[in-house]
Amino acid sequence: MHFRFFKEFSRNKTGITGLAILLFLLTGAILAPVLAPHDPWDYSFMYLQSPSMDHPLGTNDIGYDILSELLWSLRTSVLFGVSVAAISCTIGTLIGVSAALVGGTYDAIVMRIADALLAIPSILVLVLIAAYFKPSVFILIITLSLIIWPTVARGMRAQTFSLKTKLHIKAAKNMGASTFYIMHKHIIPELFPLYSMGFVTKARIAVFMEAGLSFLGIFDPTTKSLGIMISYATHYLYMDVWFNWLLPPVLSLSLIIISLAFISYAIEEVFDPRLRSNHDTQI
Amino acid sequence: MKWNRKVKMVTVYLFTILFLIFLNFLLPRLLPGDAIIAMYSGSETMITEELYSELVKLHGLDRPLHEQFITYLIQLAHGDLGYSYMYHASTTDLILSALPWTMLLIFTSFILSAAVGIILGVESAWRRDGKIDRILLTSMLLIDGIPSLVIGILFLMVFSLYFGWFPSAGAMTPYSDAQGIAHISDVLMHLVLPLATLTLSQIPGDYLLIRNSMVLTICEPFILTARAKGLNERKIKYCHAARNAILPFFTRIGVRIAFVITGVLFIETIFAYPGLGLLTYKAISNHDLPLIQGILTVSVLIVLLTNILVDIFYKKIDPRIEYAF
Repeated sequence: MHFRFFKEFSRNKTGITGLAILLFLLTGAILAPVLAPHDPWDYSFMYLQSPSMDHPLGTNDIGYDILSELLWSLRTSVLFGVSVAAISCTIGTLIGVSAALVGGTYDAIVMRIADALLAIPSILVLVLIAAYFKPSVFILIITLSLIIWPTVARGMRAQTFSLKTKLHIKAAKNMGASTFYIMHKHIIPELFPLYSMGFVTKARIAVFMEAGLSFLGIFDPTTKSLGIMISYATHYLYMDVWFNWLLPPVLSLSLIIISLAFISYAIEEVFDPRLRSNHDTQI
Repeated sequence: MKWNRKVKMVTVYLFTILFLIFLNFLLPRLLPGDAIIAMYSGSETMITEELYSELVKLHGLDRPLHEQFITYLIQLAHGDLGYSYMYHASTTDLILSALPWTMLLIFTSFILSAAVGIILGVESAWRRDGKIDRILLTSMLLIDGIPSLVIGILFLMVFSLYFGWFPSAGAMTPYSDAQGIAHISDVLMHLVLPLATLTLSQIPGDYLLIRNSMVLTICEPFILTARAKGLNERKIKYCHAARNAILPFFTRIGVRIAFVITGVLFIETIFAYPGLGLLTYKAISNHDLPLIQGILTVSVLIVLLTNILVDIFYKKIDPRIEYAF
């Protein structure tokens, strides 16, 4: 089941659009310290200013520069998304692959734990953990990762099962290839699309959760977060400030998640050729 | 070891309950320091000496851990989820009064989004690569990318604050003594926006699932057979293809319900709809831990119950599942 993942992906319009939007936002997040016109924690400006040259998106109710806040909030989203995705996918891969290789009781128990985790609404667990431990971003990242790995593990397990019995792997083994060679040349390339798929899906959940949790008021209010910006801006809906205060974080949040949705759909299409639109590749 | 289906399911339910007990019972007691302080500090409740000893007694903290655990289980079995010192009310009562509103939202949106998602998915897959399919697919991917939080805020701004068509908060007009039809229409008017938000946030998921499954079903040989028999389009589409294509929808209900509960949390907060979500929001701002624990317990029970129901009914919908293991 070898196919050129990157080549197929680069031909997919949905995927490329998603990737372009994501790169644009990532640049903003990474370069926030350079791009932000002001210190996002500086509240010495006049409050509720309209957009001007000095403050391209104006200032908020306590005098923060909104554009600077937005850029730093994007950083929080990206940090949360990337770390949760990396940790949960690594856990999921390790558990899924080991379950398939070891099998037996270990496999049965681990996969039942995975099923059980799916039945627990993760947001409420995070709310509870945040209430016990006081809002620490680090602990929330770990907790969320520990809850959302099961779908990755399921996919990895199924894929490893089918790989185990593949002829080309047996052939490589019979020709004297080392375990490392087989892992490097055959197993990892075949698990990679699944990993990237999981990474994107989990990043999407994490970005949404971070915004949602901060919207509900879990985090320390001085944290720069899209959810906190949205939450404060909605208190001033009756004033005419929504276009420079509410819209930017709402739009950024939607754009991150839309781009990730596009990318994950494209990966799914590349991964499952039967879903692809050009019929000649159909089985 | 070959596990049969029933053993599998029971193990899953058991593990879920173990997680719940870990989160609600063990974790606050394992935390360094005092469990009472961990659970009640930060709340606006003053922890007086008297209250402290009362709480210790209530949770049985002066006794060994296994006895505490038995007390906890007995309380749970009696439907006693704890006491909210913020509201001075039993947590169970608070949750029970909020639950019907949340269930109304979840249940109605489930049916609406399934109906729309399935029909659009089937039609879209049938016209695969056609103009309608492309437009539907792109717009669904776009809607899928807009978080429910954002949809809710936009609906609130446009339909409630700008046009003033729908009320912006609550589940019914406070202090109104409207009876009969007037009362029902009042409740419905308050339901429209939260329901529309929750439904819209679920449609893309249903649509994408059904479309993909339908695309794969259409390639199956039995569709070719149906065509060869000369059946008409609509009959093949709905009676042969769609009937099989919607099966994954049912298996996913059990998993989806957990996501829907997450969505409800934000949507109820935005529209100040008096269900479990708003109760959670208030519990967070008051640092009312017993209430948060109670809501978590009830949510997990809802998910488990849904899963059990799906398991029971799925056998009737797709009898092949019995032979699959």
